[in-house]
Amino acid sequence: MTIKKLIALGISATMVAGMAVTPVFAEEDPAAQFDGLTANEAYEFPMMVKSFQSTYWQAAVKGMEMAAEELGVTFKAQGPNSESDIADQVNMINTAIAAGPVGLGLAACDTSSVLEALQTCADKGIPVVTFDTGVADAPEGSVVAEVCTDNAQAGSVAAENMYAAIKDVVANAEGQVIIGEINQDATALNIQQRGGGFINKMIELLQADGKTVAVAGNEFYVNAATTADATEADADVVIQVAVPAQTTVELCSTEAQAILSKENCIAIFGSNQTAAEGVLAANSNLNVLGSDAAAGDVIGVGFDAGSIIKAAVQDGTFLGAVTQSPLMMGYYAIYALTAAANGAEVSDVPTAGYWYDATNMEDETIAPNLYD
Amino acid sequence: MTKKRKSVLSDQRFIVLLVVIALTAIFSVMSKEFRQYNTLLSLLDFSYYDLLMAIGVTFPLITAGVDLSIGTGMVCYALIGGSLIRNYGCPVIIAMLVCVLLGVVIGTLNGVLIGVMNLPPFLATLCSCMITRGIGSLFSATPWPGLTQEGGWFHSIYKLTIGSGRSADRYPIGFLWMVLLVLLMEFVLNHTKFGRYTIAIGSNKEAAALSGINVKFYHVMVYVVCGLFVGLAATAYAAVTPTVQPGTGAGLEMDAIGGVFVGGVAASGGYGSVLGTFVGIYVIMLLKTGLPYIGLQANWQQIITGIVLIVAVLIDILKEKKGAH
Repeated sequence: MTIKKLIALGISATMVAGMAVTPVFAEEDPAAQFDGLTANEAYEFPMMVKSFQSTYWQAAVKGMEMAAEELGVTFKAQGPNSESDIADQVNMINTAIAAGPVGLGLAACDTSSVLEALQTCADKGIPVVTFDTGVADAPEGSVVAEVCTDNAQAGSVAAENMYAAIKDVVANAEGQVIIGEINQDATALNIQQRGGGFINKMIELLQADGKTVAVAGNEFYVNAATTADATEADADVVIQVAVPAQTTVELCSTEAQAILSKENCIAIFGSNQTAAEGVLAANSNLNVLGSDAAAGDVIGVGFDAGSIIKAAVQDGTFLGAVTQSPLMMGYYAIYALTAAANGAEVSDVPTAGYWYDATNMEDETIAPNLYD
Repeated sequence: MTKKRKSVLSDQRFIVLLVVIALTAIFSVMSKEFRQYNTLLSLLDFSYYDLLMAIGVTFPLITAGVDLSIGTGMVCYALIGGSLIRNYGCPVIIAMLVCVLLGVVIGTLNGVLIGVMNLPPFLATLCSCMITRGIGSLFSATPWPGLTQEGGWFHSIYKLTIGSGRSADRYPIGFLWMVLLVLLMEFVLNHTKFGRYTIAIGSNKEAAALSGINVKFYHVMVYVVCGLFVGLAATAYAAVTPTVQPGTGAGLEMDAIGGVFVGGVAASGGYGSVLGTFVGIYVIMLLKTGLPYIGLQANWQQIITGIVLIVAVLIDILKEKKGAH
């Protein structure tokens, strides 16, 4: 019965986290809609993941397995070789739809490429539950629920924790200071929301303390930051946003290095695993990151997990990082699909992002989400 | 078969070297952050795998062939090596040898498909590109040991770190090995049977066969040598990439192949030099590293790199035309 215990633990963890541990959302538990849910039939759901390449997706599949066992349903997880194999994934989706499933789970590699497939689902009455990545302009009647990290909130959690560490440095700064942000792209909705969530929260916190802020660098993020109130030349704080030409650690690292080597750079945020590892790669030569801002350390904050980022958080190179819960996303995706296949109304299930640092990495509420 | 060059000034390698110097000067003037030792260190760190791939692919390119599998191959070998270390407790040295061996195996496969079975190089290596990419994505993301972890000694091959943390001194000794390898392969290209036959195959394969050269054998060897260097590149890649991600690597070959063309390998085959490749790669690396320092956004970086490539190939074609008259 260890699995049941784990699940119970997981669910209570989410609830506890929702109330106590740096709440990412403070609404009532959206998982309550699944109380007492049983499957009317032994459904089988095709679950489209973005790939199997990272342990992130392996954790999501594990969550699906847990839910499937509880509900007595089955699923078939499928995904292309890499997250950029958009056409492969679309083919897989079309094949799955052709078989007429009772429901479809979808984490779209590219949100605009799946619109046609979603229209087919709507026409055929196949309920779709999107997980990890929502499809903002999905055709009416196709997507019944989204199970996603609230990325804007998750980004703001990173900003809040970073700001607590650099507050005094910002207050005592003599000239302009720079806060860096590395986003692996400016096209994926989750990265856009996360990057934007960080920027908006940081601006809000800085302005509350009487500082003027400008956002510079990548055009998308500069245009999205409507609350910035100064120009790059005369702002107290500049949030410098960089996006590499390709989503490789190498290019993220080069961008991070260009920002980190500025003398007045005081903090940097890498908004996903690749970007955060790029920041760490840049730091391997520069050695400016640390957890004591007053002593001149540049404060680094990461996102997601993986052994490299976990080690950096553990040894204080990173102040901390925000992790999503792929396990719970997979878990609730199966629950939402089962409810939808039963014919019930389902609403979105936003899952939490948690702040973790060297002090709470081993906590029961955090550790299960820290995949390698 | 090497063409006689009139003077050092008309040698593309010299022109490219001037470009390297000019780019360094421009970036240094425009950004004071660029003028730091750490910037040079990082540039060199990330240049080794590009350069090793480029040295390897210089040989197929001289035969008017190509090897598209170098990027995905390199990542695939690094993943397999990493998972041997992480999941099977394999010593790092064995993992490195496995990388090189896998490179040679895929190189041989490419060579046999192209040299013996006469598949077009583009097609044959496109297939091995897909195969290595697919095999690579069977593995999960694997970090090789970090510098301070057990087995982290292999980082010292490329960068010697004395001391730890902020007081550490770092020396890019990998650059020395690269210079030695470049000189060795330049010698191999110009002064050994293998090198001369490589050029002969690129100039005129039929004539080479008629003159009694075992064209099949040497054509296979060209790809084996390329594979060997890709295997070496995998170890350099593992040393600088925190977590090697499965399914990646496509596109990395373009930096290497681009660098070789900037360095003056004839686009139609039959001429090239490893020294040219060496300077060509550093043009690509300088653009990749320097442009973010002067605040240019990613899309502009790609546009500028593309333009530089066009100019380099145009210079080559114009010179060839001039030579023909």
